[in-house]
Amino acid sequence: MRKSTAGAIAGVAVTLVLTSCASATDPQSDVTDGAPGEGTTAIGFITVGPKDDFGYNQAVFEGSEAVKKAYPDMEILTAENVPEDDTAATTMEKMIDKGAKLIFATSYGHLDAALKVAEAHPDVVVVQQGNTITTDVPKNSGTYFGTVYEPMYLAGIAAGSATKTDKLGYVYAFPIPQTIANINAFEQGALSVNPDAETITVSTSDWCNPGKQQAAAESLLSQDVDVLTQHQDCTATVIQAAEKAGAMTVGYHADASSIAPEGWLTGAVWNWGPLYTDIVKTVVDGDFVGSEYNANFRVGYKTGTNPFVLAGYGDQISEATQKAITEAQAWLATDEGSPFAGPVEDQSGKVVIKDGAIPTYAENDGMGFFVKGVIGKLAQ
Amino acid sequence: MSLLEDVMGGGVRGGTSIMYAALGETIGERAGVINLGTEGSMLVGALGAYAIAVETGDPWWGVVAGAVAGGMLSGLHAYLVVRRGASQFASGLSLLFLALGLTSLFGAAYVGQPVVALGRWDVPVLSDLPVLGPILFRHDPLIYLSYALVPLTWWVLFRTRIGLLVRTAGERSDSLEVNGYSAARIRAGAVVVGGMFAGLGGAHLSIAYANAWFENMVSGRGFIAVALVIFAVWSPLRVMGGAYLFGMAIALGPALQARGSELNQFALDVIPFLLTLIVLAVLGRRTLSAAPAELKRVFENST
Amino acid sequence: MTATMAAPESDLATAPPRWRGPLLVVSRWVLALAGALVIFSALLLAKGANPVDAMLAMVSSTFTQQRSVEQIFIQMSPLVLGALAVAVPARAGLTNVGGEGQIIIGAVAACGTFLLLGESIGGPVLVLLMLVASALAGAAWAGLAAGLRLLAGVNEAISTLLLNFVALDVLLFLIYQPWRESPTGQPTTLELADSAKLPVLAGTSVHVGIVLAVVLVVVVHLVLNHTRWGFRVSVAGGNSEAARRSGMKVPILLCSALLIGGALAGLAGMIHFAGVEYKLRPGFGSQLGYTSFLACWLARHRPFPILLAAFTFAALSVGSDSLQLDSGVPAASINVLTALILLAVLGFTASRKKASA
Repeated sequence: MRKSTAGAIAGVAVTLVLTSCASATDPQSDVTDGAPGEGTTAIGFITVGPKDDFGYNQAVFEGSEAVKKAYPDMEILTAENVPEDDTAATTMEKMIDKGAKLIFATSYGHLDAALKVAEAHPDVVVVQQGNTITTDVPKNSGTYFGTVYEPMYLAGIAAGSATKTDKLGYVYAFPIPQTIANINAFEQGALSVNPDAETITVSTSDWCNPGKQQAAAESLLSQDVDVLTQHQDCTATVIQAAEKAGAMTVGYHADASSIAPEGWLTGAVWNWGPLYTDIVKTVVDGDFVGSEYNANFRVGYKTGTNPFVLAGYGDQISEATQKAITEAQAWLATDEGSPFAGPVEDQSGKVVIKDGAIPTYAENDGMGFFVKGVIGKLAQ
Repeated sequence: MSLLEDVMGGGVRGGTSIMYAALGETIGERAGVINLGTEGSMLVGALGAYAIAVETGDPWWGVVAGAVAGGMLSGLHAYLVVRRGASQFASGLSLLFLALGLTSLFGAAYVGQPVVALGRWDVPVLSDLPVLGPILFRHDPLIYLSYALVPLTWWVLFRTRIGLLVRTAGERSDSLEVNGYSAARIRAGAVVVGGMFAGLGGAHLSIAYANAWFENMVSGRGFIAVALVIFAVWSPLRVMGGAYLFGMAIALGPALQARGSELNQFALDVIPFLLTLIVLAVLGRRTLSAAPAELKRVFENST
Repeated sequence: MTATMAAPESDLATAPPRWRGPLLVVSRWVLALAGALVIFSALLLAKGANPVDAMLAMVSSTFTQQRSVEQIFIQMSPLVLGALAVAVPARAGLTNVGGEGQIIIGAVAACGTFLLLGESIGGPVLVLLMLVASALAGAAWAGLAAGLRLLAGVNEAISTLLLNFVALDVLLFLIYQPWRESPTGQPTTLELADSAKLPVLAGTSVHVGIVLAVVLVVVVHLVLNHTRWGFRVSVAGGNSEAARRSGMKVPILLCSALLIGGALAGLAGMIHFAGVEYKLRPGFGSQLGYTSFLACWLARHRPFPILLAAFTFAALSVGSDSLQLDSGVPAASINVLTALILLAVLGFTASRKKASA
C-alpha cells in the first residue's frame, strides 16, 4: 500500500519535471520593438533591508514615494529584504511578470543579479545603485550614485572641530571602494581643521547586525573616541551607543537628531527623489539608451544636485564651523575642489595622489587604500 | 581602557543574551527535551520586549513581555513534543521558522522606532574596583539579574524538590510515574520556563544591548546557546563561563581593530565550536554520560 | 500519555502499524492543512491584507507563470538532495542535522576545484570533477561526525549541528580572504566560467540538478529497500543489539550511512552553487540544510515522498514574492505558513511512531 502511493507520487513528480521541460516555450520571446522600458506602467524597487530601517533602505523607499508622487498612475512595486544573491533575480523576474519594465536594484551586491536580469530581458531597464559595471555597459542598464564622500568630507570638518580627544570612530560593514572613500573623505575633512584628528575604523562584516554594531561601538568608545559615525544600513544601534556614552554622532543615511538630541553634530542624508524621478522620466520617454544613466552615472557637487545632502546641525556646531563647512562645500563644487585634492598620503606615508592632482569621480570609485590618519587594516 | 577590561567587559555584555538562552535550554534538556527553537524563542522575545517597551515606554514591561513571548513559543514545543510525541528536532526547527515569519510580519512596524532602553547602572563601590569593576559592575540591570539567576537555577535544579523532579523527568521518568507525578507535566513546565529564559535573552539583546529591533537580529545566537549547553555539560555554572567565552570571542575582534591590529574574525568565531567538539572528543563517552538519560534517548532515536 | 514514555526498543519491534483506514488519515491531513491556512489567514487579516486575495494571487502567480514553475524545480533540487542526506542516515537510526554545513562544504569543494582547475580544463570534465569533489567533501565533513561517534562515542546529532557553524566560518574565511574576487569588492568568489556552470534543460531555465535529484531519489529508494546493505542498515538502525548478534559490523554500517548522507548534501551544495549562484557569498545556502531536514521529516524519511515535500517547500518559497508584491506583507511571512503546515502535520496527523523523540 505504502509503496504504491510512493510510486504514484514519484510518477507525478517525474511527469511534472518532464512536462515542464517539454511544454517550455522561449521565455525571452516577449521582446517588443520599442526602446527598453519605454511607456512602462510599473516600476520595481528592491532593497536589501527593511524599508523602514532608519537608514539606506528607508531612503530608497522615500525616493520611490517621490516617484509615486510625480507619476500617480504608475504602479510602484517594492520588495524589501531581498538578499544579495540569485534570489534577487527571482524577485526582479516576478516584478517583470507584473509589468515592470524599469527596476531599481538598490544594494551594492545586487549588481550580479541586475545584470543577469537585464541580459534576459532586453526590453526592461535595470539600474543599479552604488556599484560599478566594469565591463561594457549593456544597452538596458546602468549604475547611478551620488558622491557620498563629499558630504562626508563636510561632516568630517564638523567632527574634527568638535572632537576633544582627536579620535573619531567609524563603524563600517565591508571595505568596498564606496566605504573606503567615505572613511578617507571623513578623515580628510577632519584633518583640514584639526591636524591631530585620527579616524579609527572597525568593520562588522554585515550591513545590519545590531549585536555586532554594539560590540564595535563599545570598543571604539573605550578607546576614547568621542565622535562616532558609520557606514551601515541600519543606524540606530551605533547612534544610541554614542548618545548613551555621552559621545557625539555624525549621522549617515538619515537625520537621527531625534534619537541623539545631545550628541548630534550633523550627517549625510539621502534625497533620492529628484534623481529617481529623472531616471524614470528618461526611461518612460524611451530615451534611456545612450543617456547619462546608461552608464556608470555619478553626480556630485560639481555636476549637479547630489542626492546626498548635509543634514541639519546640532547645538555643538559653532557658527565658525558652519561657515567653514559652507565654504568647503562651495570649494568642492569648483574644478579644484575635492576631498582628495593632492597631495594625499596613504597610511604608510606614501604619496598616492600627487600634489595638485584632482582625482575624477570614476577614480574615486575604485579607491583601495586608507589615507594617513585612518587607523585600521585593509586586506591585501 | 585596557584590552583585558575591554574584551572581558564586552564579553559579559555581548554574551549575556546567549547565557539566558543557554540557561533556559539547560533546564529543558535536564528534563529530557532539546529545543532547536531556542533561536525562535529569542527572536519573539526580542520583538515582544521591544514592542511592549515602545508601546508602554517602560522597558521593564518589555522584559516581562519578552519572557512571556519566549515562553509561549516554547509552550508550543512542549505541547507538540510532550503531548503529541512529535520529533523534537523537527518541532524545534518548525518553531524557528514560525518565529522568523511572525517577527517579520509583526516586527516591521517597530523597525527604526526609538525605544526607552534599559540603561547602564553602575553598582556603587563595586564598580570602582580595579579591573573587576569595569568587567562586572558597569552594566545594565538585566546583566545583574543574570548574576543572580545562574546560581539560583543551579540551586533549584540540584538542591530543591522541584529540581529533583525536573532531573528525574530527564533521567528516569518511569520512576516519577510510579510515585504519582506526571513526567509529561514536569517536562512541559521545564520547556516553557526554558523558553521564558530564551525570551529574556532576546529582550536583553533588543532593549538593553543593541537598543534596536531588526528582522532576524538574533542571527544564530540561539543555536550557539544550544551548542553551549553541551559544551557546559548541562551545568548552569559552566553555561555562564561558556557564554562569556563566546561573548569574548565576539568582542575580541572589534577590540583589536580599534587598536589598529587585526586577527582573523572567523578564526575567533570558530574557536568556541571547535573547543566544544574537542572537549566532546576528548571526554567522549564521559561527557555524553553526563547527559540526561532521556535526552540521550532523543539523540539516539530521533528519527 | 504512556506513549511518550515507551521504551525505545518497543516501538519498532512490537506495535504493529496502527492502520486507521485511509479515509481517516486523509481527513486528518486535510483538517491539519486547513487549520494551518485558517490561522495564516487570520494573521494576514490582522496585518490588513485580504487573505483570500493574497492566497489566490500567490497560487496564480506561482503556478500559472512558466518562470515561477521553473523556479520551483530549481529551488527544489537542492532540497531533495538535502533531504535524502537526512533520510539515509535516518534509516540507520542516525540524526543528521548537519545538512547546513555539509551543503556549504560541498559548494566550497566545488568552488575550490574550479579555482584550481578552471584554467586548464573546462566543460563536462570540470563539472564532473566538481560533482565528485563536492560529494567527497560532504562525505568527509559528515565523516568527522562519524569518526567522533565511532572513536569517542560523540552523538552525531550534536556533532553535525556544531560542525554547521565551523563550516560557515570556513566559508566566510575563504570568501573574505584567500578566494575573494578583489580585496576591495564584495566578499564573493570569482564567478564560475560558463563552461563550469550546470547546463539547463532545453528550452527552460531549469538546470540539470533536478534530473540528478530525481535519479538519486530512485537510487536511494532502491538501495535502501532492495539491497543487502540497505537491509543491514535498517536492522542496525532498528535494533543494534540484534544486528550485532547476527554478526553485522554495526559501527561500520552506521558510519557508511552517515557518509553517504554527507555526500548527498555535498551534491546539494554543488548544484545550488553551479546551477544557481555561480559565486560563493556570505549567505550561501542559508537555511537550506534545515529546510531539507524538515522536508525529509515531512516525508517521513521516505525517498519518493521527499520529492513532494521538497516541491511543496519550493513552491511556498517561490510564492513568497507574491505575498510581498501583490499583498504588501513581508516576504518572510511565508515562513509562518510553512511552519504552520509543519506544526499541523507534526501535531495532528497520525504519527506512526510515538516515542518522545
